[in-house]
Amino acid sequence: MSTILKLENINYGYIDGGYRREILKNLSYEFEEGTFYTILGPSGSGKTTLLSIMAGLDKQESGTVYYDGEDIAKMGLTKYRRNKVGVVFQSYNLISYLTGLENVLLAMTETDNKLPPNHKELAYAVLRMVGIVESKADRMISRLSGGEQQRIAIARAIAGNEDLIFADEPTGNLDSETEQEIIRLFQMLADRFGKTIIVVTHSNEVSRFSDRRILLKNGVLNDIR
Amino acid sequence: MNAFQRAWRYITRKPTKTVLLIITFFLIGNLVILGLGISQAAENAKVLTRQQMRAVVSYETDYNAYWQYIDTLTDEDEINEAYEHSPRINKDSALKLTTDSRVKAFNYMTNTVAYSVEFENVPLGNEENKGEMYASAEGGEEFVYVEPNLMLYANMFPNMIELAEGTFTVTDGRFYTQDEIDTAAKVAVITKELAEQNGFRVGDTFRITTVDSYTLKQLKDSGMEYNEDDMNLELEIVGIYETKNDVDPNAQNFQWMSPYESPKNIILIPMTAYTEYQSEVASIQYSMYAMQNPDFEVDMDEITAQFDVPSRVVYLLNDPLEVEDFVKDHSEDLDEYTILNANNETFKKLSRPLDTMSFFANIVVWIVVVNAVVIISLVTALTLKTREYEIGVLLSLGVTKLKVILQLFIELILIALLGFTLAVGSGSLLAGRVGDAVLDYQTAADAEYETTDEGYYWYDSTDYFTEVTQDDMLSKYEVSVSPALILEIYILGTAVVLIAIAIPSIMIMRLNPKQILLEQN
Repeated sequence: MSTILKLENINYGYIDGGYRREILKNLSYEFEEGTFYTILGPSGSGKTTLLSIMAGLDKQESGTVYYDGEDIAKMGLTKYRRNKVGVVFQSYNLISYLTGLENVLLAMTETDNKLPPNHKELAYAVLRMVGIVESKADRMISRLSGGEQQRIAIARAIAGNEDLIFADEPTGNLDSETEQEIIRLFQMLADRFGKTIIVVTHSNEVSRFSDRRILLKNGVLNDIR
Repeated sequence: MNAFQRAWRYITRKPTKTVLLIITFFLIGNLVILGLGISQAAENAKVLTRQQMRAVVSYETDYNAYWQYIDTLTDEDEINEAYEHSPRINKDSALKLTTDSRVKAFNYMTNTVAYSVEFENVPLGNEENKGEMYASAEGGEEFVYVEPNLMLYANMFPNMIELAEGTFTVTDGRFYTQDEIDTAAKVAVITKELAEQNGFRVGDTFRITTVDSYTLKQLKDSGMEYNEDDMNLELEIVGIYETKNDVDPNAQNFQWMSPYESPKNIILIPMTAYTEYQSEVASIQYSMYAMQNPDFEVDMDEITAQFDVPSRVVYLLNDPLEVEDFVKDHSEDLDEYTILNANNETFKKLSRPLDTMSFFANIVVWIVVVNAVVIISLVTALTLKTREYEIGVLLSLGVTKLKVILQLFIELILIALLGFTLAVGSGSLLAGRVGDAVLDYQTAADAEYETTDEGYYWYDSTDYFTEVTQDDMLSKYEVSVSPALILEIYILGTAVVLIAIAIPSIMIMRLNPKQILLEQN
């Protein structure tokens, strides 16, 4: 399998109480396409910061992030976010005044990726795939359960035909049954659709089902065997 | 799900915020319409009044300025010199003005009273109240005073204002030509009534004189030899015209009016013919003075030159609204103590209450607009704080910051349009009421502080400026919300929204999606 995302000598830190704290130290790693990764690590180890850098939500101090061999800084972070990555957050981050369907359509409208012309039908299809039927898809976000909202967030993350899906504690607010369903969804996306799933989590349950587990500790990534 | 669709869904699905903002824009809209409506109504009233005042500009001597200048002189000789060489309009300047494309017709014209010779003027109708009038000459000698009974209009060009405006219409024959003017032909165009009174027809001739009875008596008494026919001007009738003007028998001064004041007794002749005749008459009179006073000296060329240049030249423009620009464009080229008078002082005086009201209305508009910008900026900025999360989500999806700003702009503009549309109805009603009340107060205040002018006046029998009263002007004051005003309000509303969105836009440009989403999570 080929490398889809490559981190090269990533450094990141911040000043805390007058002292500089190094979060990521010359971090390098290569992610392969069609693989479900989980990144584990103690609180404050920099998991979310790393995910933000990989997802183009933040900039590293030094080092380079390559997507399919192209420096994402040169590509433009906004364009990178729009066309290459989908992000799923712990608190779902759906837009409250839109319906589930409209949240998905939003990602489809924004992307420059080629999509079939009938966005609405495609959006319903993606929502059905993640377990959301039409009647629920047409509801306002506030009228859906946490699990349903997270499924919609996942549908939105993949609706624009992005290859990389990042998730930050996606099951943190869900019960164990729903957590299982979300994990199976990620597995399916990696296995059947060749998406690269990178999930930051505390949950061993989630990491147990991933293809590869990585530990972020002392600012570097190490595979867990 | 583009910016417009998102904006539409936001405003329709967040009704409380939307309604509050609509109310804000509605209130702002009412105040703006109030100000703009009053201001525009005042401007409209002024434009309509200006149109009623006719598009007339008079090039004339500025006697007010000149006599004010004389008042500053202390040396007796300087004062006498100033009186002897009073300023006159410049012929070249007067003619240059006629070439302006805005000029429709002009009267380069001298008016003078005259006496009929062996024919009758058109009676005024007040003759039975007038007995024989006597006057005293030098040395206390009494003589019978004969009233002048004709008015001569001697024009240098055939395109008279009265003809252009239709006040005079030639009904028989023709008007005299430029060729006849250039050759000083002794031709005349008389009124239908004067022709009927004397059985005159086109082709007939008649005689007039401008020499009064006392001067004739002096000439006879002087013993000087002169040809009596030289004192008369014989004119051939080339045309007969009808005039719309007439005297008002109910006028206060009707009983004392002289026949020459009747428009029916106006005779139109070429100015060159008049100048030639008047020079001859003057020459005879000065010869008499010279005979009686050997030291008397006169420059006849200077006398003739005076007849050649009228005291004023009046221009009729195509459009009354061009008057101010016409005056502005040409005023700098004029000689000292000559002006282009567009009756502006009267107009300005009449429009003072409207100007004051318009001034305050404009201030209200500006205060409201500035406040609107501040209020909308603050409301949007505060709303933005509560929408940071949403903006963070949009940014994380790759929506550009410009598109986020565009969405906010569309939301505000839709709300503003709705608010302003609702305000159009109520605002026009409000503007009408408030405008009337302010106008009543302003008119009363102006009347209270009215002062009389202390300027100098001079008499001219031909008043080209239409008399307009303040009531005329105020009757034209009507607040109505025209399509142009509505458009202006929408443009202003858009401008307010654009400016108001600037501060929140800066805030958005500084937002970092990771920061926002981390805080939310």
